Amino acid sequence: MRFGTRRMVFLSLLISLGTALHLVEALLPLPLPFPGVKLGLANIVTLLALHLFGLREGMTVSLMRVLLGSLLSGMFLSPGFLLGMSGAIFSTLLMSALLKHSSCFSMIGISMAGAAAHNSGQLLAASLLLQSTALLLYLPLLLLAGIPSGIFTGYLLNSLLQHHKKSGILSDFFEQNSFNDRRN
Amino acid sequence: MTKGDKLLLAVLLLFSTLSTGLLYSRFSSFSRSSSALQAVISVHGDVVRTVSLPVATRTALTVQGRVGPSIVEIEGSRVRMREAPCPGRICINQGWVGQPGQSIVCMPGEILIRIEGASPLDGVTR
Repeated sequence: MRFGTRRMVFLSLLISLGTALHLVEALLPLPLPFPGVKLGLANIVTLLALHLFGLREGMTVSLMRVLLGSLLSGMFLSPGFLLGMSGAIFSTLLMSALLKHSSCFSMIGISMAGAAAHNSGQLLAASLLLQSTALLLYLPLLLLAGIPSGIFTGYLLNSLLQHHKKSGILSDFFEQNSFNDRRN
Repeated sequence: MTKGDKLLLAVLLLFSTLSTGLLYSRFSSFSRSSSALQAVISVHGDVVRTVSLPVATRTALTVQGRVGPSIVEIEGSRVRMREAPCPGRICINQGWVGQPGQSIVCMPGEILIRIEGASPLDGVTR
């Protein structure tokens, strides 16, 4: 834990940002007839943590986001919470695996795969919860809906990272010396 | 977008559209016909009549309850208690029921009318 405090502060920021996005998104009604379809904006934060740090930090951000979001919206331990938890675990694991091959994929592809894994994980938990495999018939529709939202969040993250590459806005938080360098 | 992104996009699109098309063309009839509705009438816990819904013509059944005969009316796929000798008339005032899981209860007569069948919903979550 060399950069302990700095990293903790940054992760906390990411978690609160993710929680805020999670809650704002729950307020946005999408004019679609399918339940469970949403933008997945909070995924940006998970993917950012995975990219900047690694699996452990990404998983922490993602799980804490789901936990805090459910507590704040009063859905802790509800079926929706369990589905979200399972989706978050699946998508974080898959995105972390794909990030190891980030030469093949940009953030758009990884985010798309994350959306697909999130939906699959959710439906898997739902069918376990309801003891019925009939729900899996819904998977193709959810996968289809996940493609545009995956592209959208991936595009946002790509832009953020490009901006970071140019201006280094994020470096203060996870590079030990950048802060002091600028002061001296 | 890199080459890998495009490949992934193509695979996802292909898989989801193909399987959507396949599933919904094969199972569209199956998902609609799965609700076999029936009205189950029981007195003192014993089933006395089972009527498959919907019925073609409006019918009235006389059910012998604990406090006398009651008349149950069935029209289409809904059921009501038309006449009952009980003092409270709660069962009559309840009106028509027709959704799976709904029921009419006459406490003095110990008559229970229940609509059975597959619910249109498997479960509800938010």
